[in-house]
Amino acid sequence: MKRRRQWAIGFLGFLISVSGCASLTEPVLKPGIREDLSGCYTPFPAKSWKAVHQIEAVIQERISSSLIGITEGEPSEQKIHSLLLTPEGFILFEAELREGALSVSKAMPPFDSPAFARGLIEDVALLFLAPQPLPSGWKRGEDGTWTCRWGRPGEARTEVHGSMEQGWKILRRNDQGVLTREVFLNGPFVRGVASHMDLRAFGPAGYKLKMNLLQADF
Amino acid sequence: MKRFLLWGVFIGAILFHTAAESAADWEALKEAAKNLRTVKAEFLQKRFLQILKTPLLSEGRFFFDATGGLRWEYQKPLRSLMLQKGDQIRGYHFADGVWKPDMTQAVEARRLVLGEIRQWIQGRYEESKTFKFLFVPGPPAKVVLTPMEGIAKFINRIEIFISAEPGVIQRVEIEEPGDSRTVIEFRNVEINSRLPAEIFDKP
Repeated sequence: MKRRRQWAIGFLGFLISVSGCASLTEPVLKPGIREDLSGCYTPFPAKSWKAVHQIEAVIQERISSSLIGITEGEPSEQKIHSLLLTPEGFILFEAELREGALSVSKAMPPFDSPAFARGLIEDVALLFLAPQPLPSGWKRGEDGTWTCRWGRPGEARTEVHGSMEQGWKILRRNDQGVLTREVFLNGPFVRGVASHMDLRAFGPAGYKLKMNLLQADF
Repeated sequence: MKRFLLWGVFIGAILFHTAAESAADWEALKEAAKNLRTVKAEFLQKRFLQILKTPLLSEGRFFFDATGGLRWEYQKPLRSLMLQKGDQIRGYHFADGVWKPDMTQAVEARRLVLGEIRQWIQGRYEESKTFKFLFVPGPPAKVVLTPMEGIAKFINRIEIFISAEPGVIQRVEIEEPGDSRTVIEFRNVEINSRLPAEIFDKP
């Protein structure tokens, strides 16, 4: 049992980097009217932010771990600074993503593999940064919800659906169109930062991250 | 390993000094430690990080029994727990309304840390292979721990401030590289009180 737990935490980074996919029908979406375009960005903080979240990581539905996540972001620079801490407050991992370039300043085992760093920061970016450049398609439904997509068939793509009132769902697909990540963002939103976030990575090495906002530090 | 060693340092220093009868005399501190049976206290932890304008605050409590029991518990904002009874060491976190075992490989590291802590509790500070220590009579009276090679890249120094009230530690300050530090303040410290037997057995 103990060895299985040892294996599990050491494997977390690997899971993030190699987790597989799930199929889900992808609706057709064309460019909508220009006035509705800004709604596609409302799930993401528009200005710089700092946030502290409680994170529960659940791997393969049976093993879980509790962590503290700190993120600092500057959307105009596509920049994210991210830390992972133990509940006791020790820093396990610290990295920065700036315009696609990743630099890791601290990584304690078992969080010290390049694959973990890349996977973690991509998950954080999915939660907090609006995809680039403009959406390839978008629409606003009669119920006031938005559906927006970045990327085209044959490319990795991101789809956003929801509203500030109902919460948001973010889907990430690979270049085959297969779902790899599913995110739910729920309010209240504190300067654009969701108080409750759930991320699910699909596949045989799937995992879930449940995040609750502890502190916003602007 | 290193992070649990740091964490163990906090606890070890606390336990040793809460056992003291006099804050002003090193030999008295060591002697008082020999009479320690139990410790119970609450704590407020302030985690200062360069990235944050305001510190991360955590509250919790700990229990110690000289016969081999230790419970170090964070209650806010995250609930997490480490339990030791004899050679058995377990970690938990609270999620979905229940305590869940930690998926951690750190049991052996924790065991080593706690072994070192027991040396300190018994007043054998000078036997530490991790820290050099210096007792400063003050006021305020304090013990300064300086890391030896190996752990020095994770921690600069630790200062343990001893309260004017005999036998009670006031706070611990841990300085780390990169302008990070941790302050742990203690309150409602009880020495040699009776502890529930199950406190070291289950969450």
